[in-house]
Amino acid sequence: MKILIIEDEKGLAQSISLYLTDENYKCELAATFEEAIHKIKNYDYDCILLDLMLPGGSGLIILEELKKLNKQEGVIIISAKNSLEDKIKGLQIGADDYLAKPFHLSELSARIYSVIRRKQFGNTNKININEIEIDLLSKTVSVGNKDLVLTKKEYDLLLFLIGNKNKVISKNALAEHLSGDMADMMDNHGFVYAHVKNLKKKLADNNCDKYIKTMYGVGYKWES
Amino acid sequence: MNKLISKTLFYYTILAALLLLLTSPVFYLLSEKLYLDDVDEAIHLRKTEFANNSIHSLTIDQIPVWNKFNRDILILPDTVTKEKDVIIDEVFYDTLGVEWEPYHVLYSSIKIEHQPFVMMIRLNLVESEDLMETTAFLYVIALLVLLIVIIIISKLISNKLWAPFYETLDIINDFNIEQHLLPNFKTSNTKEFEQLNHALKKLIEQNINAYQTQREFTENASHELQTPLAVFQSKLDLLLQSPTLSEEQAEILQQLYEASSRLAKTNKNLLLLAKIENNVFSQKENIQLTKIIEEVLPYFSEQAEEKEIIIESNFDKESSLSTNKGLTEILINNLLLNAIRHNVSKGKIFIQLKNNTLHISNTGSVYALQEEKLFKRFSTNTKNAHSSGLGLAIIDQICKMNNWKVSYRFENHLHQFSIFF
Repeated sequence: MKILIIEDEKGLAQSISLYLTDENYKCELAATFEEAIHKIKNYDYDCILLDLMLPGGSGLIILEELKKLNKQEGVIIISAKNSLEDKIKGLQIGADDYLAKPFHLSELSARIYSVIRRKQFGNTNKININEIEIDLLSKTVSVGNKDLVLTKKEYDLLLFLIGNKNKVISKNALAEHLSGDMADMMDNHGFVYAHVKNLKKKLADNNCDKYIKTMYGVGYKWES
Repeated sequence: MNKLISKTLFYYTILAALLLLLTSPVFYLLSEKLYLDDVDEAIHLRKTEFANNSIHSLTIDQIPVWNKFNRDILILPDTVTKEKDVIIDEVFYDTLGVEWEPYHVLYSSIKIEHQPFVMMIRLNLVESEDLMETTAFLYVIALLVLLIVIIIISKLISNKLWAPFYETLDIINDFNIEQHLLPNFKTSNTKEFEQLNHALKKLIEQNINAYQTQREFTENASHELQTPLAVFQSKLDLLLQSPTLSEEQAEILQQLYEASSRLAKTNKNLLLLAKIENNVFSQKENIQLTKIIEEVLPYFSEQAEEKEIIIESNFDKESSLSTNKGLTEILINNLLLNAIRHNVSKGKIFIQLKNNTLHISNTGSVYALQEEKLFKRFSTNTKNAHSSGLGLAIIDQICKMNNWKVSYRFENHLHQFSIFF
């Protein structure tokens, strides 16, 4: 899987690249507008991470260029400008997702995972991980032939963990992911613990709770 | 406080009254003197007439007849001791009016057929007094009428003259710096008002500019902070992946996560405030408050669980508002978040929506909060590690934008915030 990171902030681009390379993605970096245009014209990628404010030009123009080239890449906008107009404009031109800075790498990774799956398998999409099968369309989870009844939060949690397989996800990232728009409206992350506990219990009933590991109370990891 | 016109008229009236009081005696005396002079002149005229026309043909025998038919020119024997050839005041008994009446009288010595006599010419002053009274009365009436006319005219003129001033006043009253619209003053052909409008316009322009600069600064600063924050957070995420991470280091990492999340939240809230002030959320739609509250309530109930807080809500019938949905959600969220954040274990929260007023009250500190500081940025009453110090400032700003009123009360050990829509 090839990913192009169009981001002029070196520190951030490096972090993303390091995190994703670990997950068996192949990452390339573009720090300027020209570099980005050059790369999208000459190479194909599975997913492009696009910063909107670049030296040399706007990321929105790159997005338009991609459309002109009839490229099928999934595009995730990562922007410091969390403005609704930019978001709407970006999504209208053809971006698949929009992530405002600052974000957690685990959140980004989960979004990349989801964008790539959507692009590659359309909507009839099943994830098989270990003995667990997740039907993304009907949002159901089964182990073997047994259905696993999960709440929406537990389902989201499971997908997030799997989207960051073998990575430690911080409790903060999980809390923000699970609360979505309400992420700013929370003081304690106790509810994360409760949801993880419940999910673990349901998995334990099917003998597959061994994959979720707790890291000293800082985070959780799906190990497989 | 009195209106300018009332003050003007007050001074007019005082002046007019003084003028009336001072001038009417002068006028009275003057007209009296004029009349008396007139009377005296008439007396002298009669004397001359008598001397020229009558005295030569008059004989002593005719004197009783003369006196019989003349009431005001009498010929008396030369025994009168009164001063001669000088007009004096005297009263005579009037047999018709049955009263004493004042006269001006002239005695003068004459000779009829070489015999000395005294001629008396008198003129009644009663008529003159009536005349004078009438004149004075008319004078007062005229002055009063003049005064009333002046009052009416000055009222009319003043209304017309000061109209541009009141227009300007209305415009300034309606001016709201947050709407960043330069008020449009009407041009006036009065120099002073034109100067006033000009000065005001300049002042407002400078204010708007200063305000704009400050807002842009906040927005730019927040934006600039987003990227380093993103770098910081991403490095934490990377560090967390380290296979050699010890428990101690994990503990430090967790604290760094908390700090970075708080930093991000504060920055986000600052940006939100700047955006509200920049009118980013001007789009309006019809929303149902009850619906918004019910949508977020499950989320907050979950948050409240840890402190075992009980949330009770009581909604009146649906009231709909025309406003920005996003901002209203933020308002409700911030209110509920505060109610949980500053609550005590096993506390309570009451949400009440009644008569277009939303009351959210919660248990918490036993002391009332300082209301005057409450809605200012970064002036939190209670230091809380999670609080950004901007929640209430955002609430206040949203209310201002919508012309809603927000108030705080501490009653029956409950902290109550009310929004009047």
